[in-house]
Amino acid sequence: MRGRSGHSGPSVSTDAGTRPATTATTTPGRIGDSPLRPDGTLKVTGEFAYASDLWHDDMVWGVTLRSPHPHARIRGIDITEALTVPGVTAVLTADDVPGENAFGLEHADQPVLAVEFVRYEGEPVALVAADHPETARRAAARIRVEYEVLPAVTDPRHAMDDDAPAVHRPGNLVRHLQLRRGDQSVTAPVVVSLDVEVGMQDQAFLGPESGLAVPAEDGGVDLYVATQWLHVDQRQMCLALGMPPEKVRLHLAGVGGAFGGREDLSVHVHASLLALRTGKPVKMSYSREESFFGHVHRHPAWLTYEFGAERDGTLVYARARVLLDGGAYASSTAAVVGNAGTLGLGPYRIPNVAVDAYGVFTNNPPCGAMRGFGCVQAAFAHEALMDELADAVGLDPVTVRQRNGMREGDRNITGQLIDSAAPVAELLQIVADLPLPPQRDADADLRALPGSVGNTTHGEGVVRGVGYAVTYKNIGFSEGFDDYSTARVRLEMTGGEAVATVHTAAAEVGQGLITVEQQICRTELGVERVVVHPKNTAVGSGGSTSASRQTYVTGGAVQAACVAVRDVVLARAAASLGREVSQLRLDGEKIVGASGEVLTGLAEVLGEDAVEETREYRHRPTHAIDPETGQGDAHVQFAFSAHRAVVDVDVELGLVKVVALDTAQDVGKAINPDAVVGQIHGGSAQGMGLALMEEIVVTDGHVRNPSFTDYLIPTILDMPPMQVKVLEYADPHAPYGVRGVGEPPTISSGPAVAAAVRAACGRPLRRVPIRPEHITGT
Amino acid sequence: MREFRYERAADPAAAVALLAAAPDGAFLGGGTNLVDLMKLGVATPDVLVDVRELTSREVADLPDGGLRIGAGVPNADLAADRRVRERFPVLAQALLAGASGQLRNRATTGGNLLQRTRCGYFTDVTKPCNKRSPGSGCGALEGVHRNHAILGQTIAGSDDPATCVTTHPSDMAVAMVALDAVVRVLGPDGEREIPIAELHRLPGSDPSRDTTLRHGELVTAIDVPALGMPSRYRKVRDRASFAFALVSVAAALDVRDGVVRDVRLALGGVAHKPWRASAAEYVLRGMPATEASFAAAVESELEAATPLRDNAFKVPMARNVVVRTLLDLAGRDTERELA
Ligand SMILES: Cc1cc2nc3c(=O)[nH]c(=O)nc-3n(C[C@H](O)[C@H](O)[C@H](O)COP(=O)(O)OP(=O)(O)OC[C@H]3O[C@@H](n4cnc5c(N)ncnc54)[C@H](O)[C@@H]3O)c2cc1C
Ligand code: SF4
Repeated sequence: MRGRSGHSGPSVSTDAGTRPATTATTTPGRIGDSPLRPDGTLKVTGEFAYASDLWHDDMVWGVTLRSPHPHARIRGIDITEALTVPGVTAVLTADDVPGENAFGLEHADQPVLAVEFVRYEGEPVALVAADHPETARRAAARIRVEYEVLPAVTDPRHAMDDDAPAVHRPGNLVRHLQLRRGDQSVTAPVVVSLDVEVGMQDQAFLGPESGLAVPAEDGGVDLYVATQWLHVDQRQMCLALGMPPEKVRLHLAGVGGAFGGREDLSVHVHASLLALRTGKPVKMSYSREESFFGHVHRHPAWLTYEFGAERDGTLVYARARVLLDGGAYASSTAAVVGNAGTLGLGPYRIPNVAVDAYGVFTNNPPCGAMRGFGCVQAAFAHEALMDELADAVGLDPVTVRQRNGMREGDRNITGQLIDSAAPVAELLQIVADLPLPPQRDADADLRALPGSVGNTTHGEGVVRGVGYAVTYKNIGFSEGFDDYSTARVRLEMTGGEAVATVHTAAAEVGQGLITVEQQICRTELGVERVVVHPKNTAVGSGGSTSASRQTYVTGGAVQAACVAVRDVVLARAAASLGREVSQLRLDGEKIVGASGEVLTGLAEVLGEDAVEETREYRHRPTHAIDPETGQGDAHVQFAFSAHRAVVDVDVELGLVKVVALDTAQDVGKAINPDAVVGQIHGGSAQGMGLALMEEIVVTDGHVRNPSFTDYLIPTILDMPPMQVKVLEYADPHAPYGVRGVGEPPTISSGPAVAAAVRAACGRPLRRVPIRPEHITGT
Repeated sequence: MREFRYERAADPAAAVALLAAAPDGAFLGGGTNLVDLMKLGVATPDVLVDVRELTSREVADLPDGGLRIGAGVPNADLAADRRVRERFPVLAQALLAGASGQLRNRATTGGNLLQRTRCGYFTDVTKPCNKRSPGSGCGALEGVHRNHAILGQTIAGSDDPATCVTTHPSDMAVAMVALDAVVRVLGPDGEREIPIAELHRLPGSDPSRDTTLRHGELVTAIDVPALGMPSRYRKVRDRASFAFALVSVAAALDVRDGVVRDVRLALGGVAHKPWRASAAEYVLRGMPATEASFAAAVESELEAATPLRDNAFKVPMARNVVVRTLLDLAGRDTERELA
């Protein structure tokens, strides 16, 4: 699992944040500016090449035959008829996997192609390559698979029962996290408890899984693919293809959204196998329907929580049981359990704690990483319970949270010291003090009303509600994982102009990392033109574009590489100028002295040379938690956010209009303020979506709504304008003081919306997404 | 997807002849529904006869103040037509409540009327569905049916070949049913007119048939007779736009001196066909235009409801949205609204 591997390889300073201020350059587009993103115009005008646009003149098309059953034994596979279809160039099954027929982010427990069993609906069984995708699909339909349907485990609440069929040997438990802190027999005068259920959310990225595998002359393969972490893909591919990393080269193709759904492999090994077999480039691109089966989803959850408190609302203890449905394969379930367990009580000071978090195997679709990673599900429970506590002790929802809110210097429930800003009370105060939206006027535009242009109300039956939520989330990989990134930076003169080239393997998935890389180079090197080298495995790992970590970790690597380049350049300049290095800086393609005087040009110092340096950056190490008590310094950094939602609810029809969704978040340092606000907008929408409409409906192991007609995500009409307040309390341990941004808004927005709906309709609403029938109680 | 031949015909009669000779063929309108179903393997025509350019794209005045809408008129154009907006607001509103701008530009009036159900078992060829595969059973009856019918279903057990509990998805058709539209059809045996209430079917013992059209019959136009009452469409759905109805209502109301002189009421999202609420209409005529009468009327209609395990919420939802719509209409002065 993600928590266990040791520390290895060279390490650079982890306290880059304590360097002298490096934002001294005056180059436009540096840190703190919001330069246009290089991919922005292309995306808006439709010219950006996504992975699904990949093309090679003599390519063939690959398709996947998938299991129609959630659980079955494969009695036999007959491919003869498929092979006779004209245009077909290859048909592959498990027998054709040259390496180990297994992959997985944390455990390699998932077959590349099913061997004896299929464990979920949609599991890949066979592959076909043909000169046209339709030909390949038709041929796939002619593969005869004889299945013996087996009893399936589809209710995770019974996955650990003695008589439950085993999805894997030895049993259906993926991970149990046990956490005990303080006095386990303590009692409290006020006790509140509840059960909460969270449905299965999809990442709903717009760019379906796609890739192009090109066989190479050295017998290896070049794979162009949309993904979140090239090197972890490479590692798994090498295992399955039985090839060394030099022969398995990955290149990042245009990524149309990720949100965790591209952490696991999709087309990678399949396309490569077909390319190696046919000797031709192979393109694979999932349809929207297939995409729902082609990536993991957010774990549905069942949570039972209890808080004990003093009569003034001060928490005395918390007890929680969290059950996550991991589906058929491990994926990142263990790490999600880690988060749900170690962070699942929210950003509160709680002296006495008992948490049991479980992830189980079932024959449902595999679940894994999604933005907010375990904290999203838990937040619906701890925030609903906070409101219960507020009611029980007669406090308002803001005060009860502020009273219990974590502060810098506290220890959290794993005993870890919160050693940088923890502005829980302040964030809540900010959102509470923001102006409320005006009351609805009698002639309100339909779009401002529940039911919107469906014209379902002109104010009849509409009640307003307000709700609050606050959260914290770990940034970066936790529990002892060796989390690092690599950057190569090169500085040279090209056509009379200084150009920096930054090369990392860190995936740009739409969040704006390439812009941040440019901004850091401009800031550190004082040159305006920064080329972002295409992302590939020709440079060391950038780590995952997940856990809100890239600006922090890859940002740290880029900074370190820039500093190394600058040191070389300034040393040269110092030597030729006869000055101390410490008195020189780089700015505007010039070497500048202590008082800003231009001493010489970068061109003079560099001449024909390029200066290139590669650096790895590691954040402070984290540690495994104690298996009995769950205590330990599991995480590297925490990010905090609060939301206030204002909703109008049509209590007769059960429809909700979110009127305002305002938020405050501490980002440490806004490297790119526009991008920060963009992340907060998008993350808030995604959290609101889970609260009100997003759910993959799975019954008996079958996905019932694999389309964007049936899986609803918020439209612009559902999304209110937002007031966003950004705090910048620098984390002294992080480069530039940054704090991860992407996930917290997804965590606190949903519970705030749910709370507001509860306030409006007066019903407990213990399940999300909240549907009209829950609001009307019919 | 099954391989198919694509045909264009010189005129409607030739199109009908082409299809008459192709028992597995289908007419193609905008393709926004049919092509999706072909991709899913649900529809498997061997011939597509493209009628989008062939059927009329005109909205023409009828002598009585009604309109003749060519089957090829795009949904977007129909919704934007000034005469439709003025005389039949319910129709314009229903159209605009459906799908998205892009889809409405492409979709035709004929195709909208004949779009197929959105039942998730119907669209998944690996699951049982009597409509798609007669006799295979009905996956929805015991399965996911939150957005299925509450009226007029055939409930005879999951394995019974007659069972079907799904709904008709069109918004436009609900408005047209309330408007007493007449569907003009050209078939191998010539032209005929079908009152729209007789076009869509209940599942009865044969869920595979959505309508009473015979193979090869081409919808050429839809006549909407003059209305003479204010009208409205309201649609309840799971998100603000771009979602099918949970429940919808098309209503027209003529109130004089506080008394209901005439009323038209049709419900969407509740049955295998757009549901004309004749019982409610009957109860309401001559009654005072009050909330109590409206509620009593719609409740009499919904008495027949046979909700499924997970869709009982639609009964009060339908009631509430109907009452609101009628109250809204009653609050408007008929004479002034039509002036
Ligand atoms: C994502 C999505 C959301 C949608 N949301 C809504 C919604 O909210 N409300 C709503 O009402 N609709 C909705 N729709 C459905 C949409 O309205 C229909 O797809 C559209 O109206 C069909 O028109 P078409 O011309 O494209 O028909 P086609 O797909 O071309 O044809 C549909 C059927 O009609 C037959 N046909 C077409 N023309 C004729 C003719 N002249 N004579 C005889 N038979 C003919 C075809 O053979 C086929 O069986 C949605 C569709 C999509 C894809
Ligand atoms: S409700 Fe009708 S369409 Fe749906 S599965 Fe049953 S028979 Fe098929």
